[in-house]
Amino acid sequence: MLLSLLILIPLFSVLVLNLPPLLRRAKVSFYCALCFTLAQIALVFFCVFNPQSIVVNPFGSLLELDLSADSISFVVLLSIGITGFITLLVAKYFICEQQNEHNFVSVLFLALAGLNGIVLTSDIFTLYVFLEIAAAASFVLIVINRKKNALEAAFKYIVLSILATTMMLSSIALFLFIAGNTHFASIRAAFNYSSHDFLLILASGLFICGAFIKAGVVPFHGWLPEAYSESPAPVTVFLAGIVTKTLGIYTLIRIVNSVFGFLPAINNLLLFAGAVTITLGALGALAQNDFKRILAYSSISQIGYIVLALGSGTALGLSAALFHFFNHSIFKALLFVNSAATEAQTKTRNVEAMGGLQAKMPATAFTSVIASLSAAGVPPLAGFWSKLMIVIALVASGHPLYALVAVLASVLTLAYLLSLQRRVFFGTLNADCAQVVEARAGLVFAAVLLALITVGAGVFFPFVLNTFILPIEKIFAG
Amino acid sequence: MNIMLFLPIIVPFVSGGVVLLVPNRLPVLQKAITIVATALNLALAIFLFKQNVSCSLPWIGFGIDFALRVYHFSAFIILACSCFGFLIAIYSSFFIQKNFRANQFFSYFLITIAFTNGAVLADNLLLMFFFWEGLLLVLFGMIALGRPGAFKTAMKAFIIVAITDLCMMIGIAIVSRLSGTFIISKINLPPSAAGSVAFVLLAIGAISKAGSMPFHSWIPDAALDAPLLFVAFVPAALEKLLGIYFLARISLDMFQLSAHSFLNTSLMVIGSVTILLAVMMALIQKNYKKLLAYHAVSQVGYMILGIGTAVPAGIIGGLFHMVNNAIYKSGLFLTAGSVERQTGTTDLEELGGLGRKMPITFICFLIAAASISGVPPFNGFFSKELVYEGALKRGFLFYAIAATGSFFTAASFLKLGHAAFLGKVPPKYEHTKEAPLAMLIPMAIIAFFCVFFGLCNSFALQKLIQPVLHQANFHAAEFEGFKVNAKLTAVTLIILFAALANHFFGFRMRGKAIAAADHIHHAPVLSFFYAKAQEKWFDPYDIGLRIVNMAAGFAFRVDRAIDWLYEILIVKVTGFFSGTMKRLHTGNYGTYLFWSLIGLAFVIIFLSRSL
Repeated sequence: MLLSLLILIPLFSVLVLNLPPLLRRAKVSFYCALCFTLAQIALVFFCVFNPQSIVVNPFGSLLELDLSADSISFVVLLSIGITGFITLLVAKYFICEQQNEHNFVSVLFLALAGLNGIVLTSDIFTLYVFLEIAAAASFVLIVINRKKNALEAAFKYIVLSILATTMMLSSIALFLFIAGNTHFASIRAAFNYSSHDFLLILASGLFICGAFIKAGVVPFHGWLPEAYSESPAPVTVFLAGIVTKTLGIYTLIRIVNSVFGFLPAINNLLLFAGAVTITLGALGALAQNDFKRILAYSSISQIGYIVLALGSGTALGLSAALFHFFNHSIFKALLFVNSAATEAQTKTRNVEAMGGLQAKMPATAFTSVIASLSAAGVPPLAGFWSKLMIVIALVASGHPLYALVAVLASVLTLAYLLSLQRRVFFGTLNADCAQVVEARAGLVFAAVLLALITVGAGVFFPFVLNTFILPIEKIFAG
Repeated sequence: MNIMLFLPIIVPFVSGGVVLLVPNRLPVLQKAITIVATALNLALAIFLFKQNVSCSLPWIGFGIDFALRVYHFSAFIILACSCFGFLIAIYSSFFIQKNFRANQFFSYFLITIAFTNGAVLADNLLLMFFFWEGLLLVLFGMIALGRPGAFKTAMKAFIIVAITDLCMMIGIAIVSRLSGTFIISKINLPPSAAGSVAFVLLAIGAISKAGSMPFHSWIPDAALDAPLLFVAFVPAALEKLLGIYFLARISLDMFQLSAHSFLNTSLMVIGSVTILLAVMMALIQKNYKKLLAYHAVSQVGYMILGIGTAVPAGIIGGLFHMVNNAIYKSGLFLTAGSVERQTGTTDLEELGGLGRKMPITFICFLIAAASISGVPPFNGFFSKELVYEGALKRGFLFYAIAATGSFFTAASFLKLGHAAFLGKVPPKYEHTKEAPLAMLIPMAIIAFFCVFFGLCNSFALQKLIQPVLHQANFHAAEFEGFKVNAKLTAVTLIILFAALANHFFGFRMRGKAIAAADHIHHAPVLSFFYAKAQEKWFDPYDIGLRIVNMAAGFAFRVDRAIDWLYEILIVKVTGFFSGTMKRLHTGNYGTYLFWSLIGLAFVIIFLSRSL
């Protein structure tokens, strides 16, 4: 099918929705976006079940984009579709003014175009361009409600993003110099015959660091907690659910798999960075009192798992990384939806000011327990399977110590998430929360939907494994 | 005919169950059932005597059948047990006080008889062990029925016996592995290393049941805490019979022991040590029942010593002593019961001059005490002489210890009799009367047997004891009956007179009968050991408890340490690191930029080093 439409339709929509007749019709644009995300999910399923019908770019010479799609792309496209849909559901309650809502949907379309472009391209410079589109769109999204704190957070994000961009662009320039063009295959070939060893190392290092900044790997993560916690609720869901991960992690996976190959040195680097990120992220989460900040540090820690899995340098590790990518999108989006719900009802993000909310918001409490358990890797939820795959991949590739770190860190994960649950939803009801009621129907619907996906992906793990995960092993480029 | 074999188990067991259902409002009914059941049991035992049959019913499978066998030895033991059961039942009809859970007591009493019969008749090791363990349960129940606080003693008895029973269980497993069968009458193991281990384990079970050192320490406690009838019946008579019976079975039939083996010598050592240490403790007791309890331990030593000699005279002496001891020891406890019932106490400090008030009790006591002290012509004299003869053949030291034990035995009974029955009557016992007839009859019968087995010792030896040796696979020289050994008898008499002289010496010195042994109690070195023994320093159970407590304390500390590790240390360390993380994130983007650049430098350096 026409996968290039996933880039073209959002771009086209941005243009059409901003034509004068539609300029103030926030409802129209909102439902357009909702339909688009659903269509994207449907398209991915269609492609997965009908692989022979995939036509990536029907416009050939008309549009000189170098596009391709494989099993890695499908997992990421699916995550983008689901997270986009949830983001829109949440946005309904948090983007107050009509004009703002319209702007929000437009920028979201732009971001979706950028994200889909990143996933589908097979040229490193094109990838960079889409990356910048998505990044620029997300800066705008953070400040869409024009709050001072959000502005400050966005500024830090931009500063570090610029650093990342500089690194990536320098790296691409070096690759262009060495390989003569910027297509993945050419650069990969250059690794075999080039005599510019140091330049290649420099280019690789720069690109990896750029991706690390985008992904929020320790010690490149400084911008992340603030950006996540100060953004409006739907933006946080979007950022944490998909943006950072596509910009940073997907790029990293794609470049390592298609360009660098799994060189031992790069594997060791990824393993080390992953282990440090997991541990420090979890420790950071333990000390926080802000609901969204805890989740932000938790995101850092979970991203470490993906990097660690990638670092095992095996086909299983690659699949595990992608599966955890998907699972993390779902359960982290779910947790941020829960945080949005409690913030909307209690007007605070401080967990010390909450307590005993489970009596008042049972659906929110229940779904967040599911998300926490999935994050900590408790069977039979989806998070368990991806962590299990990660640990198996690490042991199988001869890194038992890193496997141990992964297992022990899930204890920390459980510690901070359960303490979060206890402080927010269980224990005695905080007097300030006596009037609290359950969140709005849309939020509850979003939360239940995500919880169902988490449970479903865990219970029907064999189906997920055979349909989405195992095909990834075939394209492993070890 | 064969079905008769089951009746000695079924009849007491069923009547025990029935008694349990009889409410305590109807003591007459309880006592009637008990007396009838024990009488029936006695009749059955007499009927089975001289029979030699076996029968087997399928039971668990795997070679474990409900196999019973009666032959001379087991029939004889059952007969003895039934006699005691019947006598105690008669005695109890007046002794049981009010407010006593009599239905439980009689029920346990009858079930004890049933299980003892079962253990003696069983021809399958596991079946025997089944009954043996069942005895432990009723033992616990009977002790716990005693005065307040008896529960602790019951626990002590239970733990000691349970541990030794566990040894026995392992021994049974080894024996069945070695011989390939559980059937006792088919087991005849040649000497081997594993066989020796099995023998030791089984012997531990047997001598612990008999109450030998070092498994004795619950008996003196139980003498005070448990009901008196229990003490007169179970530790004094029944368990001696059962334990020594089993010891004789394993050393005579089941294992082929060479006469001078290490195992036999160990048995003799245990026997001699038990004789001497227990009697030393008995000597200084100031309570009628407790003094008797230590003697109950001490006398086991003679039996074990006798069987351990592996000399015909010694073995026959040991077995004869087993019967004699059961007779006079239960008789002595019954006199204690009479005294307790009539005066309300067994504390020797308070008693005195009862001989004139309770003349029949006093006469019975005199006969039994003379027997236990080995005064001719009472039964104890003859069995002791035989044991001496056997011991002398194996080593002078064993004989010397056994003879010393006799000296102290005589001395302590002189003291006991003098303090309780002679001297002046304390004012408060001026109106004490003789015990009721139903209590006197059993005592009198027992006293009669003391005399009868003494005067007609050749009858007892030839009809009861010697056939055991014939049936056992014992190939030593035939035993020709008791012959008076002039030298040994002379020594015994000298010892008895020495004991008498010692008593008068002590009595003169202190002026009180109760203090007649104080010069030994307070002798320079002995007084130290006595003091420590009274503080239970040498009680294996208390030593074990101390060790367990120390281990528990240690384990508790380890547990605290682990707790501390999880609840304090890990939390503190984690808190430190997460706090540090929090402090490092100042929100200053310059810092974050700096970190990123450091990271970049690190990545480049790492890659250029390793690529």
